Amino acid sequence: MTPLAKNSPKERDNALLVAVAAGDRRALEELYLSYHRRLARFLSRFTPRYENIEEIINDTFMVVWENAKDFRNASQVSTWVIGIAYRTALKSFRRQKNHQLARSLEDYPEQTVDPTSDAEVNDWLKHGLSRLPIEQRLTLELAYHMGHSLEEIAAITDCPVGTVKARMFHAREKLRQYLPALGGGPSELPARIG
Amino acid sequence: MTNNRRSENSAEHQEVSALIPWYVNDTLADSERQRVDAHVGSCAVCRDDLAVHKRLFEGIDAQPALDPLKEASLKRLQARLDVAQAQNALPSIPPLAPSRSDAPWPGWMAASIAAMAVAIGLLAADRWLQFEVRAQQPNYRTVTTSIPRPPGEVIRAVFAPSITLVELQTILDEAQLKIVSGPTEAGVYSLASNSTLTVRSSLALLRRHSTVRFAEGTLREPELREPESGSSP
Repeated sequence: MTPLAKNSPKERDNALLVAVAAGDRRALEELYLSYHRRLARFLSRFTPRYENIEEIINDTFMVVWENAKDFRNASQVSTWVIGIAYRTALKSFRRQKNHQLARSLEDYPEQTVDPTSDAEVNDWLKHGLSRLPIEQRLTLELAYHMGHSLEEIAAITDCPVGTVKARMFHAREKLRQYLPALGGGPSELPARIG
Repeated sequence: MTNNRRSENSAEHQEVSALIPWYVNDTLADSERQRVDAHVGSCAVCRDDLAVHKRLFEGIDAQPALDPLKEASLKRLQARLDVAQAQNALPSIPPLAPSRSDAPWPGWMAASIAAMAVAIGLLAADRWLQFEVRAQQPNYRTVTTSIPRPPGEVIRAVFAPSITLVELQTILDEAQLKIVSGPTEAGVYSLASNSTLTVRSSLALLRRHSTVRFAEGTLREPELREPESGSSP
């Protein structure tokens, strides 16, 4: 660990990024190691192949290395880094024309899950998520695994908060249609989300 | 609730409903949280939505964490950075062709050219030495080749190229192993034990999987000298 490491993760990230902007490779490596795990988990929603995940992470940190000097303190380092990863992944995803893999739930067979089994529900959830449109899938991941706020997700995905809310709404509705065990019936489509 | 009442509350209902996911992940401001609390208390639809989001939150958060191969990935990033930095260094060479034809002291130019020539020579020598070092290192390893063992390594294994990170992690968790190095160019991972499980047991657990193409113990313990555990499957 470099002497730049601080107690608070935000302070530590900021100090590391300042050092990266000054050309400190050790700082970049420390930042890389501290983000690798959460980025790998996040990007596994794009692709299950580790080689693709690693490529996106490394592309992300090449961008971090080249653009650290342009980082503005208006946002958090974590939001900035994850936002770069998000955009890099979307580009990669679209370039490889894999988006057809993110089929809509209409393509998915009728649910055959035993709603009384938690293991079955979790297994279904894994498959159900993989079939959501990618933006909806990642919104769920950003909120429910990475714990980001609405505003942070809007910053990461570079879209209005209303769009984030709409993605979350549609994700929930599609998942609920597929798995009644989640509970409740379809919600009324809001005239305005925002 | 009458239709009129529902219409009056519709805007509040929609706005609160859209906040529920962030109520569940506990990132709402206090004022927004209180607003959701107040509405959910009187709205069965939002209570239902809240229950759905809680189940999604628990389900997504509970999915297995990955233990990515970050050290190996970092090495590949470092290699890319080396290349990028070398490419960035190239534009510094143009002083060899000075743009000013009216340089006041041609001797400076000659000195610069000489310095550049020395620098390029040193760079070339450095690259050559690096090449030589790499050339002395074979890009393959055999089972019998004696190679330095990463700290803690007890097993070397090769997995199917198609294996996903989640599958890899599941197999390693089951065999109570962790990656300490790799993959090499040949796809070999060095694995260390995560528990008191014997290496032989871990090997047996690894070999049960069709995605494990090769698994070999690297310790010279008696159990590993037994014929059935020292060879590749």
